[in-house]
Parts: sequence; structure tokens; C-alpha cells
Amino acid sequence: MKRNNFIERSLVGTLVFLKESVFSDDYAARRAFLQGLDPRCKLAAILMLLLAVMFSRNIYFLAGMYALCLLLAVSSSIRLGFFLKRTWVFIPLFSLFIAVPAIFEVFTPGQAVARLQLFGLSLTITRQGLASAGFFFIRVLTSVSLCVLLVLTTRHYALLKALRFFKIPQVFVMTAGMCYRYIYLFIEIIENTYLAIKSRVGTVPSTKKGQMVVAWNIGGLWQRSYTLHNQVYSAMVSRGYTGEPRDMNEFSAAGIDFLWLGTAFLILGLSLWQTYYLN
Amino acid sequence: MADVLFKLKNVHFSYLGRIPALCGVDLTVAKGSRIAVIGANGSGKSTLLQMLDGLIFPDQGTIRAFGTELKESVFCDEDFSANFRKRVGLVFQNPDVQLFCPTVKEDILFGPLQLELERKKIEERFAYLVEALSIQGLLERPPHQLSIGEKRKVAIASVLIMDPEVLILDEPTAGLDPLTTRHIIDLLCDPSSEKTLITSTHDLHIVEEISDVVYVFGQDKRIVASGEPEKILKDEDLLRQNNLVHIHRHRHEDKTHAHPHLHIEHHG
Repeated sequence: MKRNNFIERSLVGTLVFLKESVFSDDYAARRAFLQGLDPRCKLAAILMLLLAVMFSRNIYFLAGMYALCLLLAVSSSIRLGFFLKRTWVFIPLFSLFIAVPAIFEVFTPGQAVARLQLFGLSLTITRQGLASAGFFFIRVLTSVSLCVLLVLTTRHYALLKALRFFKIPQVFVMTAGMCYRYIYLFIEIIENTYLAIKSRVGTVPSTKKGQMVVAWNIGGLWQRSYTLHNQVYSAMVSRGYTGEPRDMNEFSAAGIDFLWLGTAFLILGLSLWQTYYLN
Repeated sequence: MADVLFKLKNVHFSYLGRIPALCGVDLTVAKGSRIAVIGANGSGKSTLLQMLDGLIFPDQGTIRAFGTELKESVFCDEDFSANFRKRVGLVFQNPDVQLFCPTVKEDILFGPLQLELERKKIEERFAYLVEALSIQGLLERPPHQLSIGEKRKVAIASVLIMDPEVLILDEPTAGLDPLTTRHIIDLLCDPSSEKTLITSTHDLHIVEEISDVVYVFGQDKRIVASGEPEKILKDEDLLRQNNLVHIHRHRHEDKTHAHPHLHIEHHG
């Protein structure tokens, strides 16, 4: 019974997480620093900052970049607790697990700083190992933070339209936008189907049955998505779509946007200068 | 003859080559006419409307629009295709199918931008429709967050903005509350408009208002009757045979009785 509840909780939890994380534009709608920037300039600046993080080999520089992310989050009216939860869950934790072996002498020989006895094995932690693991971790954390900032403070359609400015093919941008829109519809279908099954059969009596219900749901959804795909295409053709979608460009950049772009450019320059000239 | 926009002759169509949807349909649509297509679920109404919009083509028989026989090949001609799409607009039954853009505003503007209509004209039509449909507050919202009534209004706006000569509507009032239905019908039945209106509906309340001619589709996927709305709506047997009659059940003290509800009784 508990395992069956696990299926239900997983299904409901996944849907709630998707709705809250992917479709919520609460932060993007606020009036604050990053939200007020032109999406094209914001995207270009974030890309430059990401490059700066990727090229840098200085841990203090990376720590500074992470501090900048936190500062940007606060100045963009993003609750710090929410931001840390979004950035620390999954990717940085995952990368930490990847980086952990690197702290041991087996993988990174160097100056010993501590010894551990684990399952009868004697493991030595090296200073060089700690440095490379920390370096890897903070680089991932900062990169993820920058991406989360971009996504949280930009309405998804503005972000997609900004991609067009960088010559990403319109078909790709439009397909991404439609995926976003229809994932929501499919989530609703899954929720309603699950509720309909529950209302008819009550609590699913066994895990095996529960798995079967999930499988039916997936099968049904696949069929619906196939039908929907044909209908949506017809609706597009009906309104004159011939394969190359056209849209309106309504962006406008102001002085603050160029200032922000220039700052990001300077930071990238600083990173490159540190990496290739100073060292 | 010059006023005929569409002419269908013995049109047959089936899905996947084995599920019949239209079985010998003959229909003529004159310029400026207002046609209602009524019939039970699965009688072929939506298929007919999609065929009139040049989205599907007959397996047998012919369909002519604006003097040209509609075939898949004629839509390969970009000029014909663009011209046809400018002249004919279809509002789909399911607004979720029609609203695929990230925001309501982009969805409304999708059609005229694809058809490269004049910017000034697009802006004027856009402003008019936003006002007429009272959707100012929806423009920056994603369509998936709207109610069914709001979605339907936006879907209608997304077609009306192209100002098509022929407006095809597939169950435009399905699932709407009475007041929203009223609002949409008022907008569509603008007396000053010279548009040709082809509407499929189950809602017999609106048939008289939206049409001069009614075609009734039977379960055998063909037209079983046609005529003026008054005549069709009075034919109780015809409506009953085609699952279109509304049966109302009442309770009078300790007795319950049922009777059909006709939609033109108040004219009697």
C-alpha cells in the first residue's frame, strides 16, 4: 500500500513541481533590476558571464561571481531562500558527488591534509584534491545560478524571442514555445485522467495495478499528443503558416541595458586577462 | 453563378481510408449567405468545415472554391494559398488547438503576420477586436491559463483579425455561459457585415440568429434536410430522428412528464 502511495505521490509531486518551476512567472512579472532589462541584452550579458565563469581558473574570481549572482537575485526581488533552493538542489549536489572522489589521493595526488578510514580502506584527502573539487563545484554552482537568474526573471516567450535575435532559427524557437505551451496542457490531461481513474476505482489496490494505470496514462497521452499535433498543424496552416513563421519584434533597449552589457563584457575581459595573461 | 463561393458535388471523405466521415455531400454556399450546419455528434460537420477551409480534400467528388477546384496540389501555388487563407477563416471547435503561441497577443497576431497583411491594418483590427471582445487584460497572458470562454474569445479574435470574407465557425458557443454566448453571437452577427458565415452548432437557440439556411446532417454522414431555420426548427420529427431535439423533463406535484422543447415557439 505504501509503495502504491509512492506512485501517487511521485505523480502528483512531479506535476506540481513542473507547474511551479516551469510555468510560474511570478518572479518574471515583478518590477526589479533584471526584470526591467531588455531580454536580448540580458541574454547576451548572461552568456558573457557564463563564458567568464568557464574560462576563469581563479577560485576567488568564481566566488566573486557567485556573490554577484546572490546580489542580482536580491536586487531582482527574488527570495534568497527560494533562489538557493532552486540552485542548490540537483545540479550542484549532483556535481558535488561527482567531485567528491577527486579530493582523495587516489585520483589527485598531492599534499595530505586528512586521513579517513572507510570500510577498512585508508583514504587520504589532498589539498590539491580539495581545491580541484571545490573549483569544479563553485563553477557549476555559479553557472547554474546565472541560468536560473535568467529563467526566473524573464518571461519564457520573451526569452524565446530573444533567441531569435541571435539568429536561432525561427522554427526552433517556435517549436520550443509550442512545447512549453502544450506540456502544460498534457500535465492537465495527466492530472484529470488520474483523478478520473481515482474517482472510478478509488485507491488503486496494488503497486502492479498502479504501474498499469501509469502505463495507460502514458499510452493515452501519446495518442492524444499525436492527434493534437495534427490538429494544431491544421490550425496553423489555416491561418497562413507555410513553414517559416513570422513574428513581431517589440524589444527596445535603453541606456541601462547597454551599461549592463558593458559590465558583463568587462567581467568577461577580466576573466580572460586573468587566465591568459596574468597566469 | 458569380456569387457562388463554394460548390460541393457528391463529396465523400473517410479518415485513414476506412472511417467514413462524409458520404455524398452536395452543398452550395453563396456569397454573403449565412449557413448553419446542425447534426448529431459524429455526423461529419467538423469534417465538412475543415474541407471548406482547404485542410482536407475529398476522396471522391469535387469541391470548388472561388471558381477553383480544391486539391492538395493547388495549395502548392503560394499565391493561391495565401489568397485563399486571407479569404477564408476557420475557428476550430477546440480552442486549445488554435492557441499555440506563448501569449494571447501573439496568438491573435499570428495569422495576419503569416499572411503579411499591412501593419497599419493589423494594428487597427487588433485594437478594434481587443475592445470589442473585452480582452485587454488577457493580452500578455499565456493562452493555457485562460478559461474556456476566454480561450474561445481569443480563438475567434485570432481569425477575425484577418478579416476573412468567409468565416467558418465550428461550435463557437460550445461550453460557454449564456452571457458569453450572447456576446459572441452579437459580434459574429453584426448586421453591417457582409461576411459569409458558415457555423456548425448543436445549440439550436442560436440557429435562427446566425443563419438564413440550415443544413441538417444525418448519422449516415450526408445532408438529410435543408431549408430556412423556421421550417427546420419546427420539424420535430426531423430533429428527433437526428438527435437534435431537446427533451425537457418537469415535475408537477407528484407527476413527472417530459416533452420536447422547440426553439421557435415564441413566434407562434
